[in-house]
Amino acid sequence: MALDPSAVSRFLEPLAREPGEIADVFVERRQEIRLDWRDGVVVATRRTATEGLAVRWRRGSAERLCAVSRTDDTGLREASRQLQGALGRGVVPIRAAAPPSGDAWRPLSGERWRRRLEAMLARHAPRHDFRWTLAEVEREISPARAPGATSLRRLISLDGTFTASSRRGDETRRFSFHGPESDTLADELRDALARAAEPHEATVPCPEGDADVVLAGGCAAVLFHEILSHPLEGGAVSPLSGLSEARVAVAELEVRDDATRLDLFGGYECDDEGVRPRPVKLLDAGRLGGRLTGRDPGAAAGRETSNGHGRRAEPGDAPLPRGANVVVAPGGTTREEILRRLDQGFWIDALDAGSVELASGSFRLRFPRARRVRRGRLSDELGPGLLAGEILGVLKRIETGLGRESHVYRPLGWCARGGQVVPVQGEAPDLIVRGLAVRSLA
Amino acid sequence: MSPERLTERLEALAPGAWELYFKQGISREIRRAARDVSETFRSEEGLAARWWDPAPRFAAAGDEASLAGAIERARESPVSPGTLPSWPTGAAPAPELVAAEPPPDVHEELARLVAAESRGEATLTELTVRSGRTIERVVNAAGLDVAWSAGARTGFAAAVGRRGARACEARVPFRWDGAPDLPSLARRLCDRATLPLSDRAAPVERGDWLLEPSVAAALLAGLAPLFCRERSARWAARGGLLAPEISIVDDAGSDAPFDGEGTRTRRVVVFEKGGLGLPLRDLAAARRDGAFSTGHGVRPSYRTPPGLGARRLFFETERPAPPRELLAGVRRGLFASALIAPWRCDLENDRYEAEFTGIAVVAGHAQGPVSSARSRGRLSELLRRITALAPAAEAFPSPEPVVGATVLVERVSFD
Repeated sequence: MALDPSAVSRFLEPLAREPGEIADVFVERRQEIRLDWRDGVVVATRRTATEGLAVRWRRGSAERLCAVSRTDDTGLREASRQLQGALGRGVVPIRAAAPPSGDAWRPLSGERWRRRLEAMLARHAPRHDFRWTLAEVEREISPARAPGATSLRRLISLDGTFTASSRRGDETRRFSFHGPESDTLADELRDALARAAEPHEATVPCPEGDADVVLAGGCAAVLFHEILSHPLEGGAVSPLSGLSEARVAVAELEVRDDATRLDLFGGYECDDEGVRPRPVKLLDAGRLGGRLTGRDPGAAAGRETSNGHGRRAEPGDAPLPRGANVVVAPGGTTREEILRRLDQGFWIDALDAGSVELASGSFRLRFPRARRVRRGRLSDELGPGLLAGEILGVLKRIETGLGRESHVYRPLGWCARGGQVVPVQGEAPDLIVRGLAVRSLA
Repeated sequence: MSPERLTERLEALAPGAWELYFKQGISREIRRAARDVSETFRSEEGLAARWWDPAPRFAAAGDEASLAGAIERARESPVSPGTLPSWPTGAAPAPELVAAEPPPDVHEELARLVAAESRGEATLTELTVRSGRTIERVVNAAGLDVAWSAGARTGFAAAVGRRGARACEARVPFRWDGAPDLPSLARRLCDRATLPLSDRAAPVERGDWLLEPSVAAALLAGLAPLFCRERSARWAARGGLLAPEISIVDDAGSDAPFDGEGTRTRRVVVFEKGGLGLPLRDLAAARRDGAFSTGHGVRPSYRTPPGLGARRLFFETERPAPPRELLAGVRRGLFASALIAPWRCDLENDRYEAEFTGIAVVAGHAQGPVSSARSRGRLSELLRRITALAPAAEAFPSPEPVVGATVLVERVSFD
């Protein structure tokens, strides 16, 4: 991305004259390759190359943002001109728009992945309907009176359904996997596919009522994303507001939001306001910790209040404080011991959706399948259902004795809030939650 | 690279088998939440190309030069051959893109209406109103060159209801085709934010079910894949599902004269005389069925290829009754005022589940709020038991508009 830095500061300077004003230029270039797979064959391909630029001004509770879909100096001039006009400040003179600079996109190929996927799918899930996506997102943030920052992420997703065999015959199962591109990701994907394709027993509808559950395989990350990340986003009002440093869970529980974990889907080197992220302890030895924050124009000069969680879905969106990667510290309990302690209940190792209502603190998590646990042993396969509860109540009922290993939960990939969808992920050990309301969706 | 050069390149790659789409849009959005006020101006341009070589390929970019590059790179992967659609033809000149009107500043009035409607129990916490206009143009290998302009005012409002230590949040999307309908929005927000605060469960296990227009719109949106024949639903093919005088129609003529593939928009009766009517088709479905496209190639953005979908669904009846009359016809039952979870429609297995908050009704009179109730069962039975409809009310974004109406369903089970 080649914006002239002197032009950027020239346009930002009149927007951030006062100490309480924030102004920045945000540039994004996004390339995406998408392959639609059906039964081992690519049936459609998509290639997109889109870009956008936004100039933002903020003071106190007022914010203005102008976004255009070109990232050159003409786009910067156009957006700045519109913003300065909206603020009634010295308007940038009109200049004839230069033609777009041409096709200057970084090479991005999906061929290596296509060949790997062909072999992987043939072996583990030959009958499928999948969508594979490789997205490269390049961002540049230039704040007024602060150093600029750039970031580049390559994210891979595989989503869809496949036919697996089970004791009752063929079964269509959903599969979802998200991760940043790395040397080991293909192996992880292969292992995840192999696990997902394992044969299952015939399911029975999930019994309804209050039950104790083990959230296993890292899926507890979805629970903490809903009950800690969202309520602790800067500005959110929830049952956790006003309980700063209060003990709300067992002392063994340590949960942090760690955007610096670049091996997870939600990681980044700098947030969308140009601030380097810091890991934030959401729960420190069972006590409520800090909040996820973005830049605050009201902060005293020289005092940065942001912990690097100002995130945007795209250039046309203003940054909001959002979570990134929920990381739960492991304990020291074995899987067998957890099963023994649960005694009766459900073993759930996949959650495919979640939501939280912040005002009341009630949340819901959807699971596609579960195993019943009887006398500390896994028994019947259960069909899909919903888990429901209330934030403070469920935090109190998380039992001491967390699993000794943390598992990355790759099916968690995206989070939507106010129409803005950003990548997120998390890892968590197996843990027991007592007294969740369970409802069957069979 | 000019559009002409792009079409030449596409013709060279896929003679007679390409389509080029242009979109230009401007919008203005105002968001107010507590003391925060933000205003966003967006201006976007994009292009997309589809071609069959003979494999189906798609590329999109923000300008011609980038699209030309994306087209070359999209040829990288081997793709199995696809079926080329029959292209529509025609011409319609490009209109001029006029600036979007600023969104109306109705925050204070809506806040006042929400407070009054809820007797102070609910507070408006956020209102976002977006006003936008677009120009779209489709050119294809058969000589089609049509362009059109469209505009919409959409947004969402959020409110929090409080009673003692309990609270409930409501987030309600809206779409205004005409003047802002604030009383209706305020009522929906209040109902969703305050009715769940009552402790009362459903007092009836079986009875009549009166659906508020937004709830009926959610039912229609859940049924939409049925009209596209995306799911096999043998139960729907049997017929006798809706009263003969009730039909379901899709007609987006008031939104745009063409669909995302350049086919002229038309009115399609998708459910009539108790059974499925004409299916909705885009170019691919038309080719598959050996029929014509009904103009239902939906393009939510230039970044995605057009897909088959409903564009503006609504109920229609020969004998509409005013909502008050429908309420008077409820002997014992529930008025579903707002959904508290998404309406689940399992079209393959003929099942539905709706979780809602509302009001108990006996002999046409409201008896008090019901915090939450659930109705589930066979979709076919639900449709069969729709006995009366009010005239179509407002449209709800889903994300394409779906027009709701007050609907009376008889003999439904609740839990």
